[in-house]
Amino acid sequence: MEKERIEKVKKHIRTEAALEAGQVLKKITDNFPDNPEGMKYFYDLLSRQFSEEILPKNGKKLIGTMCVQVPDELILAAGAKPVRVCSGSFPYDNAGAEFMPAKTCSMIKAIMGLFQVEDFREKFDMLVIPTTCDQKKKTTEILKDMGYEAYSLAMPSRKDDDNSRYYWQNSVKEFAADLMKKTGNKITKESLKKAFDLKNEARYEFRRLFKLRMKNPAVIYGKDAFLIANAYFTDDIESWTAALKKLNDELEKKVEEGFSVANAKVPRFLFTGSPPIFPNMKIPLLVEEAGGLIAIDEVCSSSRLLYDMPSYDEQGLYDMIPAIADCYLKPCTCPCFVPNEERKDKISNLIDMFNIDGVIYQAFSGCQLYEMEQKLIGNFLMKKGVPMLYIESDYSPEDTGQLSTRVEAFIESIKMKKKSSAAKKEENKKDKK
Amino acid sequence: MNKITKFVNNASIKRFRFWFQIVAFFIIIYGGYAAIEIGENLPTFACPYLDKPGGTCFLMGLQHRFTLPFDQFISFRGLAIITSILFFLAGFVFLNKAWCGYVCPIGTLQDWFTKIRQKLGIRYSNYSEKKFKKLKKIKYILLALLILIPLGIANSIPGVGKLSHDWGVPFCMVCPGRTVLPIFNGDFSQLTIDFSSKTKMVFTFLGMAVTGMFFAGAFYKKRFFCFFCPMSAFQFIFKKLGLLRLVKDGSKCTKCGDCYRACDMGIREIADDVENKDIVKDDCMMCFKCVAACPEEGCLKVNFLSKTIYKATEEGFYKRTK
Ligand code: SF4
Ligand code: SF4
Ligand code: SF4
Ligand code: SF4
Repeated sequence: MEKERIEKVKKHIRTEAALEAGQVLKKITDNFPDNPEGMKYFYDLLSRQFSEEILPKNGKKLIGTMCVQVPDELILAAGAKPVRVCSGSFPYDNAGAEFMPAKTCSMIKAIMGLFQVEDFREKFDMLVIPTTCDQKKKTTEILKDMGYEAYSLAMPSRKDDDNSRYYWQNSVKEFAADLMKKTGNKITKESLKKAFDLKNEARYEFRRLFKLRMKNPAVIYGKDAFLIANAYFTDDIESWTAALKKLNDELEKKVEEGFSVANAKVPRFLFTGSPPIFPNMKIPLLVEEAGGLIAIDEVCSSSRLLYDMPSYDEQGLYDMIPAIADCYLKPCTCPCFVPNEERKDKISNLIDMFNIDGVIYQAFSGCQLYEMEQKLIGNFLMKKGVPMLYIESDYSPEDTGQLSTRVEAFIESIKMKKKSSAAKKEENKKDKK
Repeated sequence: MNKITKFVNNASIKRFRFWFQIVAFFIIIYGGYAAIEIGENLPTFACPYLDKPGGTCFLMGLQHRFTLPFDQFISFRGLAIITSILFFLAGFVFLNKAWCGYVCPIGTLQDWFTKIRQKLGIRYSNYSEKKFKKLKKIKYILLALLILIPLGIANSIPGVGKLSHDWGVPFCMVCPGRTVLPIFNGDFSQLTIDFSSKTKMVFTFLGMAVTGMFFAGAFYKKRFFCFFCPMSAFQFIFKKLGLLRLVKDGSKCTKCGDCYRACDMGIREIADDVENKDIVKDDCMMCFKCVAACPEEGCLKVNFLSKTIYKATEEGFYKRTK
């Protein structure tokens, strides 16, 4: 009896989650004109996130990862498939809330809900969780307790000294050794080189998109860019790269034809903070539906995902593995690091490169690190003279109405500012004449 | 023009350097046979202990010239020190520290050792950066000694008196240039211990020990000897005069550390310093491997007379990592 009831509840959550994903996708496609042809692949893929077709076992081991910080080259080199299991689903978030502390961040709750509702014990051979924030650390143990093969990847809390660097290199080396044990496949310099190349090709296309997004007027919405990166979480790396290549080609052609999705008057935003993960596109959609454009972001679920590129000097595992490790540590701008000056530098550079008018800072309630770093980034931006909107939110749609008023007001104020500065420029021009 | 720039920026600096070094090596070691004489005060180890080198090492002359009584400083002989430094600089300014990365035969030899190690699939050794930092000061001590000891030969030191002439050219006595390079002339005579006097015995013994460390060190640690080289210390004093420059645009740097990994001299600042434009540190040999390893467009650059001749590009990075 009890078992049946539980199954019923699970089924209900699953249906709700699928419904939510469908609704969000509908918003993403229907509320915007001129969606690129090449986006279809990504829309379709996300509509079936975590489904049987997307995550087939076909002989390969599945390794779940819970952060950008997990070097998936190693997983590929060990002949397994990496799947990032971070979830953005509100029904799963609710399910997680049943047994997680109230102040846990939505993303953690959603992941836990997902793993509770879907019995993934058979599916995933290993779940790799880096020791970034406290919530992830404890999540590892809870997952273990639930019967999952959870692996804690030890990360230092500093990135700027060589002790931390060696510590991290060693933990990545150990991870490689454990992966070999788990998968029964050897990581060789040849297989690692192949994984390296696969990932670098993905990075190449990712950077192409990055550069396309610099175009002003813009050729692609931020919501689409988020989805592309999100699709990488579960997709096969080769098909993903091929799909993105197609999209990039299409966009490049559109640029030549003079096509754009927003004129140069549209305020351009940088999005930073807690990661928007499909289907939680709440804030990005609010911004873009209200007439703003997310030109670029600084989040671990999107532009930070595939930007940094490792390079090794000697072809041997003794040099290649530390090279990979370095690339995942040194340029990382996650707020779990102290000091984290690099995040300010990066945001500042992106603002200049992408002609940014304002910053949207999202923090999930309960995500202490992003909540706390908000102050530092806010002060920094104030000095730089770039307005920032700080939004504390979660996966629930409840606050949408109230948030949309704030977002609209913010966008209006920036539009005004843009107008007056454009007018000033005009005047200056006239004066000169 | 654009095509050439692109070609250069996409080029593999490793290959270019490999061939450049071979040519330079032959010119320095055997140049004399082809009547090549680049100069007398070269900022590199063109060792006169060789039969017919293509130039002469500055340090030997420097040690000789400082064997000078104090009262003769303001004289023709004192002036010779200054003119020799000027000649040194005349050569130095063109390549700056790239003399080390591209010309010095002792540097090249060490790079060949590294190549052999890599071919054998043997890993390099890691070392603690902090400890090594202290050791690296040795080069300045050596530089001071190679000037002070000759002064002690020509001038009476209170309590000790004058040093004997056996102390002449003290650095040459321990320099691998003297012991190792003549091997390429088939001359192994420097690899012996000289028992003719106590001082000579100690010096030649030290020379042998350094040679042993040179071979063993170069095999496991890239450019091991260069960390202690007084020539590099002397060059560093004049780095501002160099026409060839390594510059960095910190605003483009993501601190990814690729350059730091590529650097044989383990120079951390190349990645972590985003403030300074002129990024050349005392150990830098201007090999420009860092530039080739950097994925950020125009972040690291090689300039000659303020004109960029080579720079980091995304495309070049991809070409090279393929
Ligand atoms: S540091 Fe000394 S040994 Fe090394 S390349 Fe330079 S001059 Fe030669
Ligand atoms: S022994 Fe060394 S310092 Fe002396 S002349 Fe030869 S290369 Fe120069
Ligand atoms: S490789 Fe380039 S971007 Fe990376 S740390 Fe070095 S200079 Fe900075
Ligand atoms: S800093 Fe660059 S040029 Fe200097 S030694 Fe290191 S890799 Fe070579």
